[in-house]
Amino acid sequence: MTSKFVKLLAVALAIGVVAAACGSDEEEAPAAAPATTAAAVATTAQVEMVADGSLLDTVQARGTLHCGVSGSAVAFSETQADGSVTGFDADYCRAVAAAVLGDANAVKFTSLTASERFTAVQSGDVDVLIRNTTWTQSRDTDVGMDFGPTTYYDGQQLMGRASDGFTANSGAADLEGAVVCTNAGTTTEKNVSEYASLAGVNITLKTFETSDEYWQGFIDGACDISTTDGSALVGRKVKQQPADEEWVIFPATPISKEPLGPTYGQNDSKWADAVNWTVYATIIADEYGVDQSNVDSAVKEGELGRLLGGDGELQTTMGLSADAFHQVIKQVGNYSDIYNRNLNPVGLYREGSANAGWKDGGLIYAPPAR
Amino acid sequence: MNLKNFTSQKQLKTDPLAEASNSELPPKAPVLSPAEWLKANLFSNTFNSVLTILSTAAILLIIRGLLSFIFNPLRQWSATATNMRLLMTQAYPEHQYARIWVSLGFLLFLTGVSLAFWRAGRSVLLSQVGKRLLAIGSFIVLVTLLAPFSSEATIIWLIVGVFIAGTGFLLKSSREDKTTSSMTLLSGAFLLAILSLWVIPYGHHSYISTRTPKILAEPGTVAMTTKLPWTIMLVVAICSYFLGSLIRDKIDEAKGKALLSTTWLISPLFLLFLVLRDPDFDTGHLFSTDIPIFLFFSIVGSVILLWLTNPDIGEKGRVISTAILFVGFATFLFQMLMIVRILTLVLAFFALAAPTFSGQKPARIRYTKVWIGTMVILCWLITAINTPSTAKVPGDFFIGGFAITLMIFFFTMVLAFPLGVLLALARTSKFPIFRMVSTTFIEFIRGVPLITILIFFSVMVPLFLPDGMDLTEIAAVTIAFIIFEAAYLAENVRGGLQSVTRGQHEAAEAVGMTNAQKTFFIVLPQALRVAIPPMVGQIIATFKETGLLAIIGIFDFLYIARSVIPGQTEFMGSTRENLLFVSLVYLVICFSMSKASQRVEKRVGLGER
Repeated sequence: MTSKFVKLLAVALAIGVVAAACGSDEEEAPAAAPATTAAAVATTAQVEMVADGSLLDTVQARGTLHCGVSGSAVAFSETQADGSVTGFDADYCRAVAAAVLGDANAVKFTSLTASERFTAVQSGDVDVLIRNTTWTQSRDTDVGMDFGPTTYYDGQQLMGRASDGFTANSGAADLEGAVVCTNAGTTTEKNVSEYASLAGVNITLKTFETSDEYWQGFIDGACDISTTDGSALVGRKVKQQPADEEWVIFPATPISKEPLGPTYGQNDSKWADAVNWTVYATIIADEYGVDQSNVDSAVKEGELGRLLGGDGELQTTMGLSADAFHQVIKQVGNYSDIYNRNLNPVGLYREGSANAGWKDGGLIYAPPAR
Repeated sequence: MNLKNFTSQKQLKTDPLAEASNSELPPKAPVLSPAEWLKANLFSNTFNSVLTILSTAAILLIIRGLLSFIFNPLRQWSATATNMRLLMTQAYPEHQYARIWVSLGFLLFLTGVSLAFWRAGRSVLLSQVGKRLLAIGSFIVLVTLLAPFSSEATIIWLIVGVFIAGTGFLLKSSREDKTTSSMTLLSGAFLLAILSLWVIPYGHHSYISTRTPKILAEPGTVAMTTKLPWTIMLVVAICSYFLGSLIRDKIDEAKGKALLSTTWLISPLFLLFLVLRDPDFDTGHLFSTDIPIFLFFSIVGSVILLWLTNPDIGEKGRVISTAILFVGFATFLFQMLMIVRILTLVLAFFALAAPTFSGQKPARIRYTKVWIGTMVILCWLITAINTPSTAKVPGDFFIGGFAITLMIFFFTMVLAFPLGVLLALARTSKFPIFRMVSTTFIEFIRGVPLITILIFFSVMVPLFLPDGMDLTEIAAVTIAFIIFEAAYLAENVRGGLQSVTRGQHEAAEAVGMTNAQKTFFIVLPQALRVAIPPMVGQIIATFKETGLLAIIGIFDFLYIARSVIPGQTEFMGSTRENLLFVSLVYLVICFSMSKASQRVEKRVGLGER
């Protein structure tokens, strides 16, 4: 009887021990926490201590920028066959790394889904999120993010077949009875129903889990209309339009505004300044026609001199090295370099779009470096 | 269908005298001519004939549709071929790729030796093989004639079909008693597949970031980086099989099998943390802290356990084990390394369990050996986890794709199994508290969909952890899988436990076994044997359930095929090709597991005894 009692007591104590192990503070070896080998599968002891300072100091001490991207967005952040990440967003990650660390390759890309992207910033898994994220009021205020300058002005449009009578001048009124396909669980779904109901037309909305799946539906004829951001529509038209069909994108003015740019946690001005001015530097260099190929030889005076040459006083007061933006242009390129390299192959050109410079009637504009 | 009538007719024709002389032997099935077979099995009456014709037409149409999909010139199969590395390991650095091959080679070596030790090969009649090949060859010819191929492709496939059928025909007419080992056939098939890498121009696919267009598809053999390693893998597998058959007869077979099983269980831990993860060890810390702690606990622990397993120690032993447990508790009150606390607690558990394993000297030494083994694994794990990986890859984990699917599957099975057995024992226990806890856990987990548990663990659990403790998403979802599968396995094991008769329990008690001895040596072995079929079903289901990882955004096999590859500019719209490839891989693996389990069932005599 006694022995059974002792055994029972021992087991009860053991349960208590496990509970204690789980609940105790881990002073010395944080990752070794509960002794379960299960937890051992991949816990790593990454202690991200931001001791009251800015993220800028943490990143510089760490020597690597942790950048959140999509990893599966055509032309914006693609995971290539060899595992490398390329694209417009990925290049802006590299630009920030070049400015902050002096090395465009000191980036650790983390591929994030749409639902986990903001949590990743808040938990400190990524320092900056450049994942075609639209700047909205609720994200800026309620979700607790801060947004950097817009790097790409996108907007939702629709695409139909010319053989169905759609033209570039088609509008909501032509959608009566159409089957409209789009991604499930995104704002595009809401925008297009709003657009149709305002015009008083009836549409059938079909949603698919991944974008490739609803494009397949569009190509197979299961959908009359496909709708998503204009940039993606152009890419699909260039790559997937069959020779015997004519796809048209309409209306000329997008039905929604989608300003895309870098995003980071709120209330860290020093870090925000570093990211924002990296973007501005690529735009200013573009205004002066200084690009990757001629940045070393260009005459640097006036604004260019303050930004790219000389003693770089403006940069050192921000906590960056004097030649930070020179490195950005040299290693990654100016705005046009980044844009043309990644977006021209999918049929997107700056001329005449919202992403032309402000002098050419576009929206890309940077405050002066002074 | 109508076989009964048919055989009786057949029997009428045979000589009644011969019938009588053969009465000792089981009756032989009559040999039917093809026409007779067709009539008996497919066209026995009008209804069956209609059914046969309709279903044959349906099957042929489906196959034709599938083939015309696969061989359509619009299909972007280069998307799958170019991204094979991405699919298998995501972004593992190329200059470190030898590590992948070393791991694979080691596993193949273990497979080869194990196949030899368990005598997996069986002899197969050559004429039987011939029949199979003839059937396959004829099927290919038939399908080729039906499928809408280009004339060139039709000719190639016709030649392949005729070749296979011809080989089959030759083998079929070989002598009745000529046999071969199934292992020879298996290695032959592998040999052909790997030789084809050297001969057939599958196309050379590679990604070169500086070139435009980035994807290079040119005629030629598959890249050297693939065909040479695969050839070495084949050689390793075959050599290890022969090596296994050689040493099998030289050493104690039971011991060899035990050693192999242990290696199978622990090698993934070392392959993962030492070979694949490329850890950056801090030698100074290793020699100043980790190794001394390990030595201290293995030596002191061994001495204590040797003494505690002495059968004459009595109540004194229990008092001391409980004291060690209290010391384990006390470590949490003071500043010290986490590893010391964990090891003290583990020592306490071993001390408490010691009376169950007490006995003669060999038994006690065996128990001490188990203790040292546990120390090796625990110390290694804790050290390895705290060592950063030097494999620098994009993404939040050093490996992805099929490798991560396999890894999560492996850890789930290895850890869910003991947990499931414990839960089943607890649920059938006499103590109400165990019963209640276990029943609540099992019913709760079984009442919640797996995807809910996965989302909970990947999104919510990291928020609940105390400061300074960090659980990566991969570890979190692995734990989710473990508790989910453990709940289901527990119910399978419970079914087995209930099949063990009362008499077995009483017999064990009559020879003076303790409760623990009765459970581990009498009840569980019988229960697990009965539970094999449902457990294998559960294991296969688990493997397929890893596909759910794609939904929570982990870069597993399915996610890469479904989202990442179609997200490349060059391969937009290639989802269906990739999904077809992924489903083929899942099919092959699940089918092999199912076949293997059937063999295990036969071996333990399930359904026969």
